[in-house]
Amino acid sequence: MNRTNKFLDIKNIKLSFDNKDLEIMVLRNLSLSVKEGDFIAITGASGSGKTSLLRSICGLESPKEGQIILDNSIMFNKEISIPTEQRNIGLVIQEKVLFPHMNTRQNIEFGISKRNDKNELSNEIMEKLKIQQLSEKYPYQLSGGESQRVALARSIVMKPKLLLLDEPFSGLDTELKTTIYPEIKSILNENKITCLMVTHDLTEVKALADKLFNLESGKLVEI
Amino acid sequence: MFLGFSENFYHLYDNLLFEYSFNSLILVLGVSFIVTIIGVTTAWFVTFFNFSGKKVFQWALILPLAVPPYLLAYVFTEFFDYSGTANNFMRGLLSSESDIVFFPNIRTIYGAIAVFSFTLYPYVYMVARVAFMNISPSLIEASKLLGKNSISTFFNLLIPLIRPAIIAGIALVAMETLSDFGAVQHFAIPTFTTGIFRTWTGLYDLNTALQLSTILLTVVFCFFAIEKNSRNKIRYDNSTTLKNLYKPIQLKKFHNVAAFLICLVPVFVGFFLPVLELINWSSQIENIFSSKAIVAASNTLYVSMIATVLICLITLIINFIVRSFGMSQLINDILSLGYAVPGLILAVGITKMFTILDSLLINFDTFITGSILGLVLAYIIKTYAISNNVLNSAYTSIPLSLDESAKTLGSGRLSILRSIHIPMLKTGLFTSFLLVMAELIKELPATLILRPFNFDTLAVSVYLLASEERMFEAAFPGLMIIIFGLIPIYFLNKLILSKNE
Repeated sequence: MNRTNKFLDIKNIKLSFDNKDLEIMVLRNLSLSVKEGDFIAITGASGSGKTSLLRSICGLESPKEGQIILDNSIMFNKEISIPTEQRNIGLVIQEKVLFPHMNTRQNIEFGISKRNDKNELSNEIMEKLKIQQLSEKYPYQLSGGESQRVALARSIVMKPKLLLLDEPFSGLDTELKTTIYPEIKSILNENKITCLMVTHDLTEVKALADKLFNLESGKLVEI
Repeated sequence: MFLGFSENFYHLYDNLLFEYSFNSLILVLGVSFIVTIIGVTTAWFVTFFNFSGKKVFQWALILPLAVPPYLLAYVFTEFFDYSGTANNFMRGLLSSESDIVFFPNIRTIYGAIAVFSFTLYPYVYMVARVAFMNISPSLIEASKLLGKNSISTFFNLLIPLIRPAIIAGIALVAMETLSDFGAVQHFAIPTFTTGIFRTWTGLYDLNTALQLSTILLTVVFCFFAIEKNSRNKIRYDNSTTLKNLYKPIQLKKFHNVAAFLICLVPVFVGFFLPVLELINWSSQIENIFSSKAIVAASNTLYVSMIATVLICLITLIINFIVRSFGMSQLINDILSLGYAVPGLILAVGITKMFTILDSLLINFDTFITGSILGLVLAYIIKTYAISNNVLNSAYTSIPLSLDESAKTLGSGRLSILRSIHIPMLKTGLFTSFLLVMAELIKELPATLILRPFNFDTLAVSVYLLASEERMFEAAFPGLMIIIFGLIPIYFLNKLILSKNE
């Protein structure tokens, strides 16, 4: 693989939230470079800004300053802010965010609805994540682990340049986690998807990540 | 239906029934289509975007609820008339000849569709807005992360998600459209309601009027069932969603102007246009506080106040009994069916029942018939559902454990009602009172038929004056109806906005 050193390049990101008259600084001059295909894990105390960092990268939050470049394209700087839907970045979070009125197949095909080969693509990803038997089921019929697999499939089928995972496995039991980790690792490798994961679980870090960072006082420190 | 069909019925069946059905169908389809577009689009804008005037539009979009369709029909007729304000304005603007007509005749079925659409769209707006606010922001973010922009998210995610709410809103609008009498009568459109009225007052055939009513009632109950069914689905969908903390998108330039105009048009046409025109007409009358207007206002307040107090009392007692004795809600569901019955049909049914009662009880055939009793009974049947909606949900928010604690402290059922339930239901009782009152003040068809002799209410005054083309004199009572109607809307708005917060 010809790996760019700065596939994801985040420079001096500042993010703050206004709470009445107070400005709460969440990220202070945060910088990070990630190679293509790498799996980066980020830990940190609750409220340290891990989720805000992921939301800034995919465009759901607008930083006050800084620059985000993905695959040599500017996603965000002082002048430009590419809308979330045009960034081709996937995000899987801990909460259940499957569309409740759609079955598993419809959920997975939502983002690729205009493609002619959507059926083949969804079959392929369902097979890889071993969820073919769930294709006609609705979100309320799925367990926590099944829902997370479908959410993951829905993001991966888009072939995102970058996949962001925000504690996606925290609701799953240990047994399921140990089965799911190698499967996910191999799918990500196979599809050459660069990944950034926020987690508290060190077993998860060991099983999946190439590098580990700790987010404290709004900055990242490699461990 | 079971008494057999008279000659009149066969005459109607051969010559008019198709026309009634066709016109009613076109009205319902046309109005449903337009209210969906106006209601859903405006709800989408005020929920998911920030634009100029949004804070005002959030509540102003409900204002047309205060304007009954018949009132807008009267205003439209005059406003777009050959010598009306609209044509005069255009002639002045373009300095054109006085015989040029810029606007088409409004007294057509299309005009009626416009009238109903601009007065009834708030039903769809309100349910769509609440449904939009209940959608988890995570779902919308997920859609964006999957490559869908705002418009694509609207069509592919939001609309399918709130479909049950939209259907419930449309069903309500369809019921109101089919039940209306004043607007279609003024526009001279043959529909079921005008047909029933004509059969009764023109052919003096109460049985055939009742048979026509049965057909209309069957259709209305179908919409009622659709509405009920859709509401159950809304509850189901919402149970899985999270609190909405979605940050609205700031619209700029063209999009900002477009959103402003899209929200302004329905509020202007449905509320400000009729209010301004009615004020204009009122100002041209020398003595607007005429004795007739004052009598009509006091009659309206008198009869609607009596009925409202009774309805609130009955609802309170029934809900208390249901709760205290652990009974099912079936009785409330059955009594709430009255809401779906068009006022005209209620009036026909009550008149028939009272005529029979009069002839059975005493040998004087108009003792009960033609008294205030029939009117109050019709009001109670028509608005029980409104009062029950408010009080029933207020009652369910009082935990049963409070009743149980009071019982262990030695309180009897009545004591619990007096010292616990009523103080805790104060807001619910007040809201129920206002909502029922506003509904009754503008009620026309049942009032027109069941009112005692020489007993004019505001709605009846407006109807009678308008049918004699005395629009300027009808303006002031019309304005009073709107003012009374604004009071519960203020509370409705507070309710929706507090839900948003």
